[in-house]
Amino acid sequence: MANALGMYRTVKRLGIPDSNIILMLADDASCNSRNKFPGSVYANPGRFLDLYGDNIEVDYRGYEVTVENFIRVLTGRMDPSVPRSKRLLSDERSNIFVYMTGHGGNEFLKFQDNEEISAFDIADAFEQMYQKKRYNEILFMIDTCQANTMYSKLYSPNILATGSSEFGENSYSYANDNDIGVAVIDSFTHYILEFMEKINKTSQVSMQDLFNTMDFSKINSHPGVRSDLFNRPLDKTLITDFFGGVAQVEIVPPLDHISPIHDSEIATADDVQEALHVDQPVRSPAVSNTKLEKQPFFSLALPAWNTARAWVSVGIVGILVGWVTTKTG
Amino acid sequence: MDHPAATTKDEEPTLPPSLRDPKKLFFQSNRLRRTIIFAYWALILLALPIWWYTTSIERLALPTRRVHQVEENRLELPIIICVDADQPFIDDAGKQLANRILQDSDRWKGVVVEVKDNVSCSTHDSPLFMGPIFNIPTEDGNVYTVRPTVGPITIQNRQLFLPLAEPDSATKLVDSMTSLLAPYSAASDPEHRVAQYSPHYRLAFSLLNEDAAAGDPYLDWQIEAGLKAHIYPIIRRLKTLHNFTIESQVQFHAPLAFSPVQIDDSYAITSEDLTVFVNSAEWTLSSSSSNDPVLHFILFIPSAARRPLRLLAHDGENDVLLKVLSKPNTTAGTPSISSAFLLPQWGGIVIHNPAPGTLAATELPSRDLNEAFSLFANQLLALLGVAVLPAGVVDMTEAVGLSDWQLDALVRRRTFENVQGSRDTLLSIVKLVDQIENMPVGEDVRGDVDDALEALNKVYELSRQSLYQAFTHSAKSFSLSSRAFFNPGMLALLYFPAEHKYAVYSPLFASAIILLVIAALREIIAYRRERTLARDSVAKPQLIMTGKI
Repeated sequence: MANALGMYRTVKRLGIPDSNIILMLADDASCNSRNKFPGSVYANPGRFLDLYGDNIEVDYRGYEVTVENFIRVLTGRMDPSVPRSKRLLSDERSNIFVYMTGHGGNEFLKFQDNEEISAFDIADAFEQMYQKKRYNEILFMIDTCQANTMYSKLYSPNILATGSSEFGENSYSYANDNDIGVAVIDSFTHYILEFMEKINKTSQVSMQDLFNTMDFSKINSHPGVRSDLFNRPLDKTLITDFFGGVAQVEIVPPLDHISPIHDSEIATADDVQEALHVDQPVRSPAVSNTKLEKQPFFSLALPAWNTARAWVSVGIVGILVGWVTTKTG
Repeated sequence: MDHPAATTKDEEPTLPPSLRDPKKLFFQSNRLRRTIIFAYWALILLALPIWWYTTSIERLALPTRRVHQVEENRLELPIIICVDADQPFIDDAGKQLANRILQDSDRWKGVVVEVKDNVSCSTHDSPLFMGPIFNIPTEDGNVYTVRPTVGPITIQNRQLFLPLAEPDSATKLVDSMTSLLAPYSAASDPEHRVAQYSPHYRLAFSLLNEDAAAGDPYLDWQIEAGLKAHIYPIIRRLKTLHNFTIESQVQFHAPLAFSPVQIDDSYAITSEDLTVFVNSAEWTLSSSSSNDPVLHFILFIPSAARRPLRLLAHDGENDVLLKVLSKPNTTAGTPSISSAFLLPQWGGIVIHNPAPGTLAATELPSRDLNEAFSLFANQLLALLGVAVLPAGVVDMTEAVGLSDWQLDALVRRRTFENVQGSRDTLLSIVKLVDQIENMPVGEDVRGDVDDALEALNKVYELSRQSLYQAFTHSAKSFSLSSRAFFNPGMLALLYFPAEHKYAVYSPLFASAIILLVIAALREIIAYRRERTLARDSVAKPQLIMTGKI
């Protein structure tokens, strides 16, 4: 969560308007009742910087964050009723930055604990974007366990990809916040954001400089870069080509869920639903009692059908029993 | 001990004999058991097609061959130039023009130009052209006439008046033709300023007061008057290309996301800050009532504390500019005279500093309104890709807005863009469907692809006759092909590795199927054994019979 919000804050600081950012957050950590600091999300235990801030636009939230919606955002295959703010309105001149984080594994990234997106899906989605000229260049950044496997299947041109860890490696968190009992940010993202803090809109720092700062000793996993699909030299590619700028650049960050909060969240959500289910039977008779006289048709039609069904089944059983006894007799 | 045994013995005979011997239970008869097993298998076999149908992806065949055929077609829009001059001049001009086209073939791509004299023109077309005076030619936008005149070069409708008697007039003619008929070169749109084609646009006009509370705000503007005078004429002229919806608003508090630099007694916005001038986080600039692209036009009134607010001229390197600005004493980084700027494909912004005299007025004075709206009109034309008339050419047409030449050039350009876009989209649909095996192709996608192809063929057919009709079909084809590509049903099913499929199906079916297979096998074996037994028992008596004979 803090990973994605950190990226969001960075691209926004570098001049990309909210209308060009699609932020997908799988849960609402800031307003979770377990969050001791309501309405805010901090990326470090010291709580220096509130990532949630007072100006944030989450485009896809909670259960809207699904693999299908993510692919729809990328490919543009939306229902006509989807508003502009939820669409990726890019064209062949747009540079797109896709940042994903969450729980992953070999060639997949988990969404919402019940589905996952595979490296093939992402590769196909990018290919479709390429075919419809929906991007000029893509920077694909992913921070999960075994992240580098996620970009191994990409095959469309002009994609620069980077990931936090190799096949078989975990991606580790940077810091724990003991007050909320949660790991708040991953080291790969943390060091990238730290690097980004030094960048401003007019900075001339290249992607190569960014990749050079990635270091195994700091993040405890081997970050990877894949540039064979990308046809500009990395030292000529500015960070601000993807992270900042004017109207030409359109950016899609992230998608996210952070481990510990996420699991507990699902549990609490289920609990609430169960509670509701228990409530309902108690409540509904009270309601229907008052309305029973007004709407005899509805209330009678259903029981009539039920009783008829019951009698028919009894009849069938009776016939069967009778048949058996006559046979045996 | 004795007693209970006796009772059981007593009870046993009360059961019918058929229930006592399991072999004789009526439902243990072979026939019944086999019917049951057969029924299970029949059900499974009958369900197989349903299972197959529900799990398979609908992939209708796309007209691949026709798509590739269309790809090979070249769109050619004819242009006929009738020159009211003698034959040698026409030949000379024709030759020069042909040369020009060869040199810059990209610019003239898809246009076939023919230079003719008056006589062949009039025989070529309708009898309207007979006689020395011919008025507006066709509405088709592919016949232009050049007539001699004295004085400056002027255009009226689709006629060009040019002094033909001078020695270099052929070159002049070719120059004007180039800039009028093919005004778009690769270099003319370096900023990608022109918005992508869409049949509908929304124009959002906003009067933004940076901070009305700081004093001297403009709380109202006569937008209707401004639109009527400057925007509606353009919209009327462009109605064949686009439909427009207009919305407007006035905001009293629209803070900037940065603070302008102070230079002497005025404030200035650097070129970097211009790119982030639009504070989209805090300004609500357009209603999101539809998905049509929006072009924004903003009249920005700086806060009273920050007037006058000016734009800094872009003088070369950004770094230089910044360095200069960091030393407030130096006077470089001169404020530019212009107070308007344009964000490519997004819209236009005009910054208006109220003159100190007009403090009492809360409504924008009409003089300033006119100024702002004429700027907006220019910005609108630029954003929609209308070419600027070449220097030295004067438009004598009475209609305000844009000349037929400009409109035709724009329509030609949009037609090409649409045809190209439509072709590319169709091709990529076919390619993707080929490439991604679990991408569904439904009835509506195929319908759209067919219709898009149909419209595309119409474009080719009509391109010789009428530019405007060809354009209409090209727009239709483009929107249909895009709709086909973006069809929500075309989302490829997610990729499942084979292991996943085994993992899903084996616990579901293996447990049931194994039992059924074993039961079926057992019954088949039993049935065969019975058959052989029966045959043996039948064959033996036969043998005996023959033996007797």
